[in-house]
Amino acid sequence: MSALPHLRWRAARPIAAAWALATLAALAALQGAPGVSRDEAAVLAGTAARGGGERHAAPPLAPSVAAITHALGAAAGLGHARAYRLGSALAGALLSALLAAAAWQLAGPAAAALAPALFWLAPRTLHAGLVATPDLALAALALAAVLAWGRASAAESRARAAWAAGAGLLLGAAVLARADAWTLAIALAAHAAGARALARRTRGAVDAGEVARAGGGAGKVAVAVGAGAALVVLAWPAVLRAGASPWLPPPGGISAPAVALAALPPSILFVFAGGLAQALARIYAAVRSRTRAEVAPHDASGDALLVLAALAALAGSTLAHAPAGARPFLHALPFLALLGARAVVRAAELAWPARRGAVAAALALLVLYPGLRAAMEAFPNGAAAWNELAGGAAGGASRGLRRQDGGEAVGALLREVSARAAPGARIWWPGVADGAVELYGRDGRLRADLVPAEGPEDADLAVVPLDGGSRDAEYRAWAALRTARPSSGVYVDEVPLAFVYARPGAWR
Amino acid sequence: VGLVAREVEVLRSAVRGWGEALRRLWGARPGAARIAAIVFAAGAALSGAASLAAQARLPGRLPSEQDWTALRALLEREARPGDVVALSPAWAERARELLPLSLPVLAARRYAGEDLLGVRRVWLVSLPRAPGFSWEPEQDLLLRGSPTGRPARLGALEVARLDVAFPILPLAFLPDRVARAEGAGADAAREVREVAGAPRPCLVGRAGDGAPLALAFAPLRVGRVIRGHVGAVAAEALPGPARISLFVDAEEAGEAEVSGSGFVPFQIDTGRFAGQLRAVSLRVTLPPPGAELCVDAAALP
Repeated sequence: MSALPHLRWRAARPIAAAWALATLAALAALQGAPGVSRDEAAVLAGTAARGGGERHAAPPLAPSVAAITHALGAAAGLGHARAYRLGSALAGALLSALLAAAAWQLAGPAAAALAPALFWLAPRTLHAGLVATPDLALAALALAAVLAWGRASAAESRARAAWAAGAGLLLGAAVLARADAWTLAIALAAHAAGARALARRTRGAVDAGEVARAGGGAGKVAVAVGAGAALVVLAWPAVLRAGASPWLPPPGGISAPAVALAALPPSILFVFAGGLAQALARIYAAVRSRTRAEVAPHDASGDALLVLAALAALAGSTLAHAPAGARPFLHALPFLALLGARAVVRAAELAWPARRGAVAAALALLVLYPGLRAAMEAFPNGAAAWNELAGGAAGGASRGLRRQDGGEAVGALLREVSARAAPGARIWWPGVADGAVELYGRDGRLRADLVPAEGPEDADLAVVPLDGGSRDAEYRAWAALRTARPSSGVYVDEVPLAFVYARPGAWR
Repeated sequence: VGLVAREVEVLRSAVRGWGEALRRLWGARPGAARIAAIVFAAGAALSGAASLAAQARLPGRLPSEQDWTALRALLEREARPGDVVALSPAWAERARELLPLSLPVLAARRYAGEDLLGVRRVWLVSLPRAPGFSWEPEQDLLLRGSPTGRPARLGALEVARLDVAFPILPLAFLPDRVARAEGAGADAAREVREVAGAPRPCLVGRAGDGAPLALAFAPLRVGRVIRGHVGAVAAEALPGPARISLFVDAEEAGEAEVSGSGFVPFQIDTGRFAGQLRAVSLRVTLPPPGAELCVDAAALP
């Protein structure tokens, strides 16, 4: 097994390509089903505002990519929602390929097969790949930036500057996807400082070249930060006027880490924790051994890079965002998937060397199948899924956890609304973005004669998402439509996600 | 003595043998890394198996379509005017879609402090095996009434009927009798709004900004007290102390001052007008900056 920084693409190319193609095909095939959340609608609104001043209010990468893929996809005959979301499928394919290649380098072909599956086989991560929000692009760019930084750490002086600049540009692109990605820069700087200290401490065990390569950390950081900052300022000039809001989202409070623990399948969480523990143990062994070199310093340096990147993403987003499932810390998961895949493969080798392949396969099946099953059950409402520690969607609702990202669950009602609403019915959509309703109409998911209403008093029907928060709009619809009885609803594990209310005669 | 000595010797040799075996096993124990790997592999396998078991058990813990149909049939047969359905947990709201229209459905996390106006019997529909289930709603309701008979099991649903010990049967619910309602800047209207996490049928209007919320009602038979609630719409608490003045005809019959969070109750004595058909009005005054208020009131015997 080799260190992370020394990526050898040629060996990993077939499995990386297979994962990329499979991911692209699966995501593209499934992208038509989920509804449009308020966050996704904001991205789509950004595509319409490209060229105007409004686009500068938020990081521009996701709207720009969505606009490009929409122009290409719509010309090729794709539906509007699918075309807008194609960028996420491409980011997903890139992420899978990077994960497979890096995992191959860390722990061989078995890890290459396992690492992307550890990332994808969970309802919320799969859902992130099906919508046009920037979270998945951020995850792919964050992983690419960290891998490039790993190369910079291992390269000779001239190539080192080039790789550091590449890492900086990728990090800048990540910031253009979601502004809180800047926390990864802390991980890279900490890694540069740590790698130098580690190389000095183990001076007797390694060659002088390695010590020299570990030097120059400050220069590497300066090159990366300079390149990244230049890209951000050039591509998003308004960032200088944007103030603190995009950089520091509202605090999620003390419950945010607990919410994070409820968002992913427990077996995958266990493997992630095992991978982190193994990496920390290897770093400790490298530091402690000094001259015995049980773990080579460059291996420990690669481990430290992955650990630091995962922790920076987790700390920066889990503690800084409102608790909203897995989206805030999605970009920590590729690093944890790499470490987890290596932990499974190494555990199988050590536990039963003669049957390591069978043990690894059995472990992978037991770890991955619950997530796959949960993803299939929750589809297309992946953002409504909570894990078995939380008691599923039902336990999450009992604990007051969010039931969806923001209005996307009404997507599952569109077919019925189109089939049963009276001709020309006016529909009130509280909690659903205007852009989402418009997109449903453009895609033919909603009958053309159904008209959006301004308020419940003007409406014949009200389609109300339930996200676990305020229900004031729904109660206003009760009073205006004179009924508290839904005509139809969407449920996950008996938990309602959206209701339709109708005036007498407006629902056939 | 010889027999005992022989037995002791046999015992000694057995103990020595076991000790030797244990020493050999201890000597052949796997290294720390292998033990860690075995523990990790076992933990990963167990967590996966436990997740699968939990997923497989979940449908049996939640009501099926048949269970809901059986509940509907039971309530269509047994329910009477003055009955309501209370859901536990509150999210089990498929009941709204399926139960008879004539039965109001309550879906609150807690019922402590709720007036339950006009309610004589409560059908408590529980999902006792649902994840995160809590007995708190049942505890709250048991303080208000007594269960009749054993709860019925309908698949994953459990249905218990509670007879409310002291039903509060209003002479009139004032929001249903509003004749004129004026707030600061706009007329007030009868709506259903969320206050303190529950739907409240109430009159909604603004108070503060220099003008009170004035509510006049059609003549009604006045009882011993007027009891009501005031809450701020889309806010946790009232912005300051609210003063509620009650007028019977043109005469000020009493006032109350309330403050705090939630749907804050008030009560004004109307004993001297009890049994009389009178015109009643309420005036709610708030200090600036004021707020959109949700106000209900009932004439109680």
